[in-house]
Amino acid sequence: MTLENSPIEQKVMAEINSGRVRLRSKYIYLAEKLGFASVFIFTVLLAVLFFCLVLFYLKTSDNLNYLSFGSCGLLAFFESFPYLLVITFVLLVFIAGFIMKKMEISYKKPFSYLALGLAGVVILFGSALAFTDVADHIEEVAYQGHPAGRLFKPFFRGGLDERNRGLAGRVLAIEGKQMAIQTPRVVKIINVSRIENKVLNTIYPNMFILAIGEMKKGVFLVEKIKLIDPEEIPMTLRGIDRQFSGQTPPVNFPF
Amino acid sequence: MTKPNLTDEQLVSVIRESDKELYGEIIRRYQEKLSHYLRKFIRNPDELEDVLQEVFIKAYKNLYGFNIDKKFSPWIYRIAHNEAINSIKKLSNQHLSLDEQEWEIVDKKMDILEKVSSKMEREAVEKQLFVLKNKYREPLILYFFEQKTYEEISDILHMPVNTIGTLISRGKKRLRDKLDKKYDIRK
Repeated sequence: MTLENSPIEQKVMAEINSGRVRLRSKYIYLAEKLGFASVFIFTVLLAVLFFCLVLFYLKTSDNLNYLSFGSCGLLAFFESFPYLLVITFVLLVFIAGFIMKKMEISYKKPFSYLALGLAGVVILFGSALAFTDVADHIEEVAYQGHPAGRLFKPFFRGGLDERNRGLAGRVLAIEGKQMAIQTPRVVKIINVSRIENKVLNTIYPNMFILAIGEMKKGVFLVEKIKLIDPEEIPMTLRGIDRQFSGQTPPVNFPF
Repeated sequence: MTKPNLTDEQLVSVIRESDKELYGEIIRRYQEKLSHYLRKFIRNPDELEDVLQEVFIKAYKNLYGFNIDKKFSPWIYRIAHNEAINSIKKLSNQHLSLDEQEWEIVDKKMDILEKVSSKMEREAVEKQLFVLKNKYREPLILYFFEQKTYEEISDILHMPVNTIGTLISRGKKRLRDKLDKKYDIRK
């Protein structure tokens, strides 16, 4: 069989010569490549930023401090864990991995190596970024009502929300077995009847406390309490300052 | 430089920039090779011709998507491979048959059986080769019957070179096991 005038060649060349089959423009490929690369870089940068924000949250909120109570603090730890930040971070890493897998060069190495490399890069740069004040700035902008900053507000909310199992804040007043605690949301009255007097005697107004316990009939019943340096929970401290604008609200003990 | 002296990559460059008529040369260079490859997936000659034509049309349309610094052969084989897979999905009643040259490869290189001679043995090998999972069958076919290197298969199937080696060796073992179990054809 001679291939010079094979039917397939004739048919294909007829399609090409008639103009029905045309070359796709080289700019489409260029745009595709640039688009892919841009989305990939943007996703990796976001993943780096979110890893930095996760570290920032753990470092500045009350979350990790609950573990200092041992296993009793686990519930408060899980309650205040930055799920939204972590899920977003994991999602971004997955999206970056997916895009990387679709890239033309990625098949040359096993995907597990590339995924490990990607995770390593994100963790390394995210950790390095955590040493800068980028996350502080983002938190500041988020609560200033800046349109772009507002996007980040939900990610910090977990660090300032009211909790049922833990509590961190400034002592406003003490009366008998009740304490008024200024948290980033409200002034909360807590019941410390389960706490020994020798511990309670070390606590005075304006000090910062960290407590674990449970909500019963609308009252936070403290199981364990300790003093904490406000510098260890700067996110909580800033939250209180923002919420109360430096004012000390009046306290009414219910009992 | 005359067109027979041009490499595939040089030809593509000229076709893209100035002379689309030269695409006929690409078709002549690859028609037989791709037809041979596609025959491992599609037996019906009409269907095969349609798929082959589609491969050349797709390759032409996407010529700017080819990176001129790489080899052209794995690129066009990848298009053929994708078209073959699409075609297999549409037609489930396909079956594979090998020619005499390929039986020699099975005997000498594939090391599945000592010598595949009887009609029954040949049918058994063909059937088992065809029902082998795609991920094993594709590298086996490309390596043994299309004489591609691991590097080229890696470019065609978009898999790491090490994985290709593993799949070929596992594919051979699976084929041997299947033949042992189902047909009691032993070395």
